[in-house]
Amino acid sequence: MKKRGLGVGCMFYGIGFGFSRQDISAATIEICEDGSVIVRSGEVDYGQGSDTIFCQMVGEELGIPYDSIQLITADTFTTPNAGPTTASRVTYVTGNAMVKAARAVKETMQSVAEDILGEGDLVFMDGEIRSEYPDKRISFRDLAKTCHARGVQIVETAWQDITTKDVDPETGQGDAYATYGWASQLAEVEVDTETGRVEVLRIIAAHDVGKAINPSNVEGQIEGGVLQGMGYALTEEIVQEGGYLKTGSLGDYMMPTSMDTPRIDSHIVEVADPDGPYGAKGVGEPALIPTAPAILNAICDALDIRVTELPANPENIKRLILEKGKEEEAS
Amino acid sequence: MAGKEDKVLLRMKVNGEEAEVAVKPTWTLLRVLREELGFTGTKKGCEQGDCGACTVIMDGKAVNACLVLALQAESKEIETIEGLGTADALHPLQKSFIEHGAVQCGFCTPGMLMSAEALLRENRKPSLEEIKIGISGNLCRCTGYTKIIKAIESVSQKNREALTPFRGQ
Repeated sequence: MKKRGLGVGCMFYGIGFGFSRQDISAATIEICEDGSVIVRSGEVDYGQGSDTIFCQMVGEELGIPYDSIQLITADTFTTPNAGPTTASRVTYVTGNAMVKAARAVKETMQSVAEDILGEGDLVFMDGEIRSEYPDKRISFRDLAKTCHARGVQIVETAWQDITTKDVDPETGQGDAYATYGWASQLAEVEVDTETGRVEVLRIIAAHDVGKAINPSNVEGQIEGGVLQGMGYALTEEIVQEGGYLKTGSLGDYMMPTSMDTPRIDSHIVEVADPDGPYGAKGVGEPALIPTAPAILNAICDALDIRVTELPANPENIKRLILEKGKEEEAS
Repeated sequence: MAGKEDKVLLRMKVNGEEAEVAVKPTWTLLRVLREELGFTGTKKGCEQGDCGACTVIMDGKAVNACLVLALQAESKEIETIEGLGTADALHPLQKSFIEHGAVQCGFCTPGMLMSAEALLRENRKPSLEEIKIGISGNLCRCTGYTKIIKAIESVSQKNREALTPFRGQ
C-alpha cells in the first residue's frame, strides 16, 4: 500500500561565526584610468555565486555595467583577507565590505565630479554622473581619467567586522550571532509500506534571506540544499566497520540523483536586515536544515511512526513498520 | 604480443579531428583525453563510473570515459565538451544552462552537457521524465538538478516548437 503524508520543518540559523569568534572581511576597489574597475577580495566562490553578486553590488553603487568590473578573488598574493567561505557568511560580511569600499571610492569621485560640473546632488547611473541639468554630466570613464590626472586616490579598502559578543558563560543567554536566517519547508511524501521506500513528491521551501541580491542564485542555493537535506534524511549514510569506512565511494554512499528530484517550490521572503548589504543575509546552510525534519514529519503523518534514526531508508522504514505491526498485535 | 607496459598506437577521431596516440593497454580513454591530448574539459571525478563527470560521446552514445579502455576507442568518433561549443559560439544547451542558472561549481557541467546532448540527439523532444533518466548517471551536489532539468527542458521545448508543422494563418 502507498501512504501519503505532509510534514513541516522550521529553523533559524546564525549567520557568521558568532560567539565572539573573529568574523572579518575585506575588499579593495580600484578605479583604473580607462574607467574599468578592479575588485579584489580573498573570498572564494566555489559555486554559490558570490562573484556574481559582488559585481552586482559594485555595479549598483557606482552606476556602471556589471561586465565592466574585473574581479580578482582568493589570491593570497594580491587580495585582502576576507575569511573563509563558510557559515553562510559571505554575502553578509564580504558583501558589506564591497558596498563600503564602493561607497568610499564613490565619495571621492563625487567630490571631483562636483568640482568639474559645478553642481551638487549628483547621481551615478548608466555609466554617467548626472546632475539635474542634462548638459551638466560626465561619463564615469572621463571622471576616472580626470581623477588619475589630478592624482586623486581612487583605490579604497574597506573592512567589515561582524564579530559578536559571547553569550553569558553562566546562563548561556545573549545574542550569539550578528543576524539570523529563518526558514520553513513543507514536504509531501509517499511511502510504499511493502518496500519501505519513501518518495518525496514535493518540497515547498520559504526562506527569509533579507534581500535576494540575485534571486536565481538564491533559488539555486535552496534547490541544492533541499536535495542535500533529502539525501541526509533518506539515503546518505557513513558506515564504519572495525574502523574501516564501508561507504567510501559514490556507489556505496547514496547521494540523490536527478531521479530523486521532487518538484521544489522556492519562496523567497525578504525581511531586510538593517545591517546587511541592501538588507541581505545568508542562505547557504539554512537551505538544507529544515528538509530532513519536514520529511520525517511527513513520514510520521503517513505511517504514524516516528523515525528517530537516519537515514530513513527502505530497510529502516520497513523494520519500523514491522515493529509497529507486532506491537499492535501484542496489544 | 604486446605486454601491458608496451605502448600501442591508437587512432581515433576527437571532435572531428584525427588523433594518433601511443597508449598503454591499461590506460582509460579518460586518461588519454586529459593527459595525452589535453582535453581537460572532461572531468576526472570518481574514476569508478559513479559520478558521470567524465561523460563523453563515443559514436553517438554517452559513455563514462573512465570506464572505457583507450583501445576500445580505436577507430571511434569521440566528442568532448571542447567540441560542443566555444565561448564565442555557444551550443544551445550551453546557452540554456547559463540562462537558467544551471551551473554552480561547474564540475559536473561538462558531463551533464554531454549526457544532455546525447539524449537530445536520440530524442529531440524528451519529456521531463526522459530528461531525468537521461542525466541520472551524472551526479551534482550543488544545484539539486532542478535548474539543469529546466535548462534541458527549455531546449526540448524549442525543438518541439521547431518541429510543429506550420498550420497557416
